[in-house]
Amino acid sequence: MLFFSYFKDLVGQEVTVELKNDLAIRGTLHSVDQYLNIKLENTRVVDQDKYPHMLSVRNCFIRGSVVRYVQLPPDGVDVDLLHDAARREARGG
Amino acid sequence: MVAGLGEFTLRTGDGFGKPVLDESNGEELMHVQPSVAVVLGNRPVESPGTLYITSRKLIWLSDVDMAKGYAVDFLSISLHAVSRDPEAYSSPCIYTQIEVVEDEDDESDTESTEVLDLSKIREMRLVPSDSSQLDTLFDVFCEGAELNPEPVEDEEEEGESGHNWVFNADQMDVIGGVEEDAEWSISQSPTSVIGHSNGDEGLAQPMLELQINDQRFEDAEEMVHDSETKNH
Repeated sequence: MLFFSYFKDLVGQEVTVELKNDLAIRGTLHSVDQYLNIKLENTRVVDQDKYPHMLSVRNCFIRGSVVRYVQLPPDGVDVDLLHDAARREARGG
Repeated sequence: MVAGLGEFTLRTGDGFGKPVLDESNGEELMHVQPSVAVVLGNRPVESPGTLYITSRKLIWLSDVDMAKGYAVDFLSISLHAVSRDPEAYSSPCIYTQIEVVEDEDDESDTESTEVLDLSKIREMRLVPSDSSQLDTLFDVFCEGAELNPEPVEDEEEEGESGHNWVFNADQMDVIGGVEEDAEWSISQSPTSVIGHSNGDEGLAQPMLELQINDQRFEDAEEMVHDSETKNH
């Protein structure tokens, strides 16, 4: 559940979600659920030439299983905190 | 497993009614939206039909041609969104991306051939005549997606940690550590200390340095990775 609660803390921030079909969508993180399904608002597609149909989209729901990467705002990440939390959870503590 | 878009023709009441659902397996109807046109990929808009949203999938049945209908599982819907920009598409609609089975030369096939292969359709638009329903439909789609998470394929591993995919880096660390320990015990056992067995003091020295290095890097995943690749 670590990444779920971690992403919940990022709600309202600007992220870029890269899908397994190479589509990258930038937008404001609106919500995330336990399956890491992601809702974005004020979206824009990074590579607009490749996906012209996404131009018209301003908000979207992305299935968690098709997400490859989520690019986070640099100041939205407390690296030390995340590192510690990951270790704790990995060791079952 | 991922089926993409497919034909759907099972209607109740001698083929004129609602879609036949898999009720014995818990499939339920969540929402019905009349008067919805469908657009598959870059093809022209098709005559209006009725959209049925079940707890498993989307079913669109033509109002005109009783033999015509499409269905797609929520599991195959990668993304859905409300599209309102008239420059991108003439009517406000729900835009969906469908996950298809990758095939090397399917790009040219979908463009050129007359016969439509539904399983290769990557984009679908649903255009309700009542565009005030778009937000409702969007929410119902979200609900449907949440009802259909990925099936757990590897029960055994999943049971171990609950979410084994999260901590690959640390797992690497543990594996690396075990391997190092094995090397440790070999190098520390008297028979395998090369320098001592043949009486050459000079050879024992590099071995000692290697051990120090291993110890120093034991806790840093990336460095362990690095030193591992160097060692092998």
